[in-house]
Amino acid sequence: MAEAPVSPGGGSHESGDQSPRSNVREQDRYLPIANISRIMKKALPANGKIAKDAKETVQECVSEFISFITSEASDKCQREKRKTINGDDLLWAMATLGFEDYIDPLKIYLTRYREMEGDTKGSAKGGDASAKKDIQPSQNAQLAHQGSFSQGANYTNSQSQAQHMMVPMQGTE
Amino acid sequence: MRQAGTYSGIRFGGGNGAHSLPLARIKKIMKRSGSGDEVKMISGEAPVVFAKACELFIKELTQKSWTLTLQGKRRILHKDDVASAVVATDVFDFLVGLVSDADGDGDDHDHHAQNLVPEERETVLEE
Repeated sequence: MAEAPVSPGGGSHESGDQSPRSNVREQDRYLPIANISRIMKKALPANGKIAKDAKETVQECVSEFISFITSEASDKCQREKRKTINGDDLLWAMATLGFEDYIDPLKIYLTRYREMEGDTKGSAKGGDASAKKDIQPSQNAQLAHQGSFSQGANYTNSQSQAQHMMVPMQGTE
Repeated sequence: MRQAGTYSGIRFGGGNGAHSLPLARIKKIMKRSGSGDEVKMISGEAPVVFAKACELFIKELTQKSWTLTLQGKRRILHKDDVASAVVATDVFDFLVGLVSDADGDGDDHDHHAQNLVPEERETVLEE
């Protein structure tokens, strides 16, 4: 599969790159089709086959999914006057938008990630570990470690499927 | 401060395939979400969350599509199956416009093009 290389290393600032192209570079807008295809295949039985057009459609859907969740999370950040979207915000947005089934696997994944990160860096960031033991409050006390994750879990537990749950979250201050 | 290279996903999961999707790319897509400068900064963990979330999403969408493939007594999953799965699944409502577009005439690979905002800050905060 010809997968265009993402510019490796640091310099991916698109400096001279915002000319009005008719088409934004494909690799800026979608995840690599090879990766998508691999994940799709894993979801099918061994004899399952996937047409190219299906892969491309899923590829577009994934980008849309990222945008959809990010926008919701971004709105939340704005309401709470925060500038940085963190992992918690995304989990909250997913729970809010109907993807509460993803929350538990994501928490586990994040915990694993943090453990590996912890080897190279001394600190946890983002303040959303709770699947682990108990996050040490000192590490990022000013972040929302006390509320948001458990809130996501609440959505999960209560199976609430409300699409517009604008619970005004305090608790980051 | 993090370097962009950190986002290549090499360190976490290079070997065991833990991140099955490239973090740098995810971050780019996040950045072009919404309009204007809503998405200012993205914590280091956010793309990590998405790497897994997208995997879950792809699996769910694929499995639902495959069910429809089988119902049609076919063996190859096609775009139409994906479109039908989207229509049939509530949480995928946000994709309905996209798949019906894609359904009509070839690929409308251009719907995000107008939303392109100049990359403003690649800063990633360490909290």
